Amino acid sequence: MAAADTPSASLRHHDLCSRGIRLARKMRSDVTDLLDIYVEQQGLDASISVAAVEGVPAAAAERWAEQTGTQRLLDNLAAYRAFRVLLAQMLEEQREQLGDANGELGPALAAVLLQVSAFAYHLEELLELESRRTPAEEGSEPPAPPRLSLFEQKLRGLGVLRELAQWAVRSVRDLRQLAKHGPGSSAALGLADSQ
Amino acid sequence: MCSGWNWVVHCLYLFLNICSFEVSGGLVQSCGHIIPESPVLALGSNFTALCILNESCLDFGNIYASQIIWKIKNKVVPKEQYREINRTVSSVTFNDTSSLATPLTCNVLADGQIEQNIYGISVTVGLPPEKPKNLSCIVYQVSKLTYPMKCTWNPGRHTFLDTHFRLKYRWSRESFPDCIPKYVNNSCTISDVQFFVNLEVWVEAANALGKAESDRLVFDPIEIVKPLPPHNLSVNSGILPTVLKLSWENRISAAVMKLKFNIRYRISSDTNWMQVPPEDIASPRTSFSIQGLRPYTEYVFSIRCMKEDGVGFWSDWSEEKVGVTTEDKPSKGPTIWRTIDASPSPAFWTVRLMWKALEPFEANGVILQYEVTVRAKPPLSHPPWRYNVTTTSLTLKLPNGTYEVTLIAHNRVGASPPSFLLIPASNSKAPVKNIRTLPKDGKLWVGWTAPNSVLKYVVEWCLMSNSSNCITEWQIEPGNIQGTYLKGDIKPFKCYLITVYPLYADGQGSGQSVKAYLQQDRPSKGPTVQTKKVGKAEAVLTWNHLTVDEQNGFIRSYTILYKTVDGNETAVSVDPSKTEYTLSSLTSDTLYTVRMMAYTDEGGRSGPDFTFTTQKFGRGEIEAIVVPVCLAFLLIVLLGVLFCFNKRDLIKKHIWPNVPDPSKSNIAQWSPQVPAKHNFSSKDQMYPEGSFTDVSVVEIEADDKKSFSEQDLKPFDLLKKEKSTSEGHSSGIGGSSCMSSPRQSVSDSDEGESTQNTSSTVQYSTVVLNGYRDQTPVQVFSRSESTQPLLDSEERSEDHAGGSDGMTQRQRYFKQNCGQDETKADRPFFERAKQIVPANEEDLAGFAQLQISGQSSQPLGFELEENTQEAALPDVLQASTEGQTVRPETVEGNLPSVDEMPKSYLPQTVRQGGYMPQ
Repeated sequence: MAAADTPSASLRHHDLCSRGIRLARKMRSDVTDLLDIYVEQQGLDASISVAAVEGVPAAAAERWAEQTGTQRLLDNLAAYRAFRVLLAQMLEEQREQLGDANGELGPALAAVLLQVSAFAYHLEELLELESRRTPAEEGSEPPAPPRLSLFEQKLRGLGVLRELAQWAVRSVRDLRQLAKHGPGSSAALGLADSQ
Repeated sequence: MCSGWNWVVHCLYLFLNICSFEVSGGLVQSCGHIIPESPVLALGSNFTALCILNESCLDFGNIYASQIIWKIKNKVVPKEQYREINRTVSSVTFNDTSSLATPLTCNVLADGQIEQNIYGISVTVGLPPEKPKNLSCIVYQVSKLTYPMKCTWNPGRHTFLDTHFRLKYRWSRESFPDCIPKYVNNSCTISDVQFFVNLEVWVEAANALGKAESDRLVFDPIEIVKPLPPHNLSVNSGILPTVLKLSWENRISAAVMKLKFNIRYRISSDTNWMQVPPEDIASPRTSFSIQGLRPYTEYVFSIRCMKEDGVGFWSDWSEEKVGVTTEDKPSKGPTIWRTIDASPSPAFWTVRLMWKALEPFEANGVILQYEVTVRAKPPLSHPPWRYNVTTTSLTLKLPNGTYEVTLIAHNRVGASPPSFLLIPASNSKAPVKNIRTLPKDGKLWVGWTAPNSVLKYVVEWCLMSNSSNCITEWQIEPGNIQGTYLKGDIKPFKCYLITVYPLYADGQGSGQSVKAYLQQDRPSKGPTVQTKKVGKAEAVLTWNHLTVDEQNGFIRSYTILYKTVDGNETAVSVDPSKTEYTLSSLTSDTLYTVRMMAYTDEGGRSGPDFTFTTQKFGRGEIEAIVVPVCLAFLLIVLLGVLFCFNKRDLIKKHIWPNVPDPSKSNIAQWSPQVPAKHNFSSKDQMYPEGSFTDVSVVEIEADDKKSFSEQDLKPFDLLKKEKSTSEGHSSGIGGSSCMSSPRQSVSDSDEGESTQNTSSTVQYSTVVLNGYRDQTPVQVFSRSESTQPLLDSEERSEDHAGGSDGMTQRQRYFKQNCGQDETKADRPFFERAKQIVPANEEDLAGFAQLQISGQSSQPLGFELEENTQEAALPDVLQASTEGQTVRPETVEGNLPSVDEMPKSYLPQTVRQGGYMPQ
């Protein structure tokens, strides 16, 4: 906390929040584009509804406004770490399916994966400013996903991307909250903001 | 190049090893090796190598370390650098590796003489890498989603070794694969970067001698983006004629960065760009309305962008787009001026109104027509005239008076404000003063001293040239200035006539003119000078002024340069207004070369050379000399004549000495006849007694004369005299046998037969007269008994004249001398004379004499007489000076005084030896 009180820490916090917001926006924009590419490339219907995918964190929060800053950061970090694994898995599956000739889907996926990693990095930095220890990732090896059919893989990928788009929007709002209150405002201040 | 050399060295090294292996491994065991094996050395460091011999070779070949020779390539290393460590090990040390080369070999002298290679190594010398400097990166947007980042750095000095560079980058918690440059060592491009995350970037350089890293850069790649410029520009005309709306599309997502813009624009015909104020377009947008444009003008637009906060790089300028503003009514009326021609009738003017087409920024559209209104002043005198024209001039014939002209230009949108021009009946107002010009900045400035309350000025100018008429150009200037630049294509070296008119509200001042040059040069040629009049010591030179096209500037002076052939050149400066100059103090009768130079402010040029020669005598000098000389000569002649007249007796005495009287000679009795029978009374008078000294006498039948009537004879009186004289002459000549020509006798006769050879009938005879002066002339012939023919010359002469029958003719002549020929008609004289003409000039003279004697009544004969008289004068002079006896007839014919004849004749006989004074 003491470190968070210094002007440089405040500045850094602000800078991280600001750039995190922009990164989340860009990620939202890129994921939107990626979704279009994905739907087209996988031969799916854009209006198809996908049930909640197992292992994909949900962006919706019941009492979002009441969350503390740290809680928000932890939720975000957990989600993006999960997305990182899922996207890496999707990228691998895409390579297996389409090989190197997977057009623009592979690079776009890689770019989004990179942004997810970058955003996770931002979150870790912010948590460090909050003098919070960054929670360790749950094992270096993700649990082996159940063996799915090809169509199921496609649907799951669609679900991952849609949820990621939702998370990008939520992350922008979370970081705005954090930026408003500055470092150390990890208490539940969301009530007033949520009004 | 370095790597190529290393490759060669490496091959050589392998070759040596293989050889060693084959020799030692196959048949002979290797005798040693070098430590270190193939070292890479830093340039400039020291180096020691060891050659270690195998023990087996010591025993087998008696080879020891003391026999080792080190060589670099084929050059033996000095033994000072060797050190024998023990009997099997020898070392060599190099203080500076720059002296090393490959291969470095260890050799021995087997049996003290034969050099054998033991081992060899390759040596690589180079430098460790330097720390890469000046690392910088830039993110280029190449598409909407692709942002490669290119980093460049300075790799440092050349290492002579294979040096690898790697661009390393990472987030604080995540590293990425290195970027390895291809084909270059100073840049590398990362294919994609993520924004909003700080990236740490550095360069690592490594080779066999070491490794070096650049300083590390930490930045968010979004801060170094050079975005793509906006595209799909479009320009739309706004509602106003001064506004255009520019629209575009951005190619970078607003989520990535917000943009600010620069918009530049220019008029199509102009090259200078204008910019929209940056603060007006400092926020994200996709369109902008540009205001303050000119109506009906084509503009070119271009746009660029960068990150809104100014961090990063501007994009390139977009492609250009053209837009045209709409028309507006003309902003001002055309400037108008006039020329007035008062001829042929002063009561009516031919007024040519002319105006300048509006500039595009004034016309604001296409001018469709001009409306001209001419109002007489006072207005009641005549209703106004109105004209609609599409050209820029209008010629009117107006009665002399004051008029006001109004001009309005129309385009599609509307009419211009009116322009006014007052044409007064006379330019009675004050003119400008002190008009002057000055070339400045490649333009011609004209200034003047302004009178009061001038409304505006009209400056007229025209190029003066011999080859074309003066085409007037003009411009209107406001009344508050006192000078302006001429707005036109003013050429250097050309003369311009500039006139300034002041225009007042109620009249006009007369124009004041000045000539000017934008730039002067030397004249293109010099004046052609020539003489108008040349005297003994002076010459009047004239020349024409150079034409205005030749002057190239104001002629400031002329210089006349003149010189003699070998003299110095003299220069005379002449006022440029003159066209004539008199050179004085010239030397008489001397050739002068003169040329003329014309000078402007920039220098002079010479005209062609002209030469003339001064006269030998001045005016009246010849008269002054000739007249006195003539007068003196005449005086001398007169005095001489008077003297001769007074002393004539004395002269006669000296010229005609006493001659013995031939009549007293015995031979005188030989004469068969007495010449006195011939009734030549006149002859007697002409040749008084004693006047003949040496005469050949020809017998003539006196009776023949009787066959002529007295009247017929009268005209022949003179002829008779002449004949007698001629006879005397010829006799004398015959006597002298030298100068006498029988033709002279013949000339007295009528026909060619008279050209008888005297020598054939009268052999060398001498007539001896009794008296001289007081003695009685008794003609006695003294015949010579000599039969010697006449001199050949005389015979030939006779032959030519008389032909082959000369003797016959002669005889006939003697028979007919005073006979039938004289009784015949006059005409035969001419015919005969014509026959004689070919003889020679002397014959002609004789013929003329005959004319005088016998044909005086004939017109033709008279004419000939005159000719003869004309020809006689030189003969007289000749006879008097040379004493020629050739033409006594002529003398006789011209001088009626018979007394004078002997004076000129007789002495000649004396000289020629026919007569010797006794």
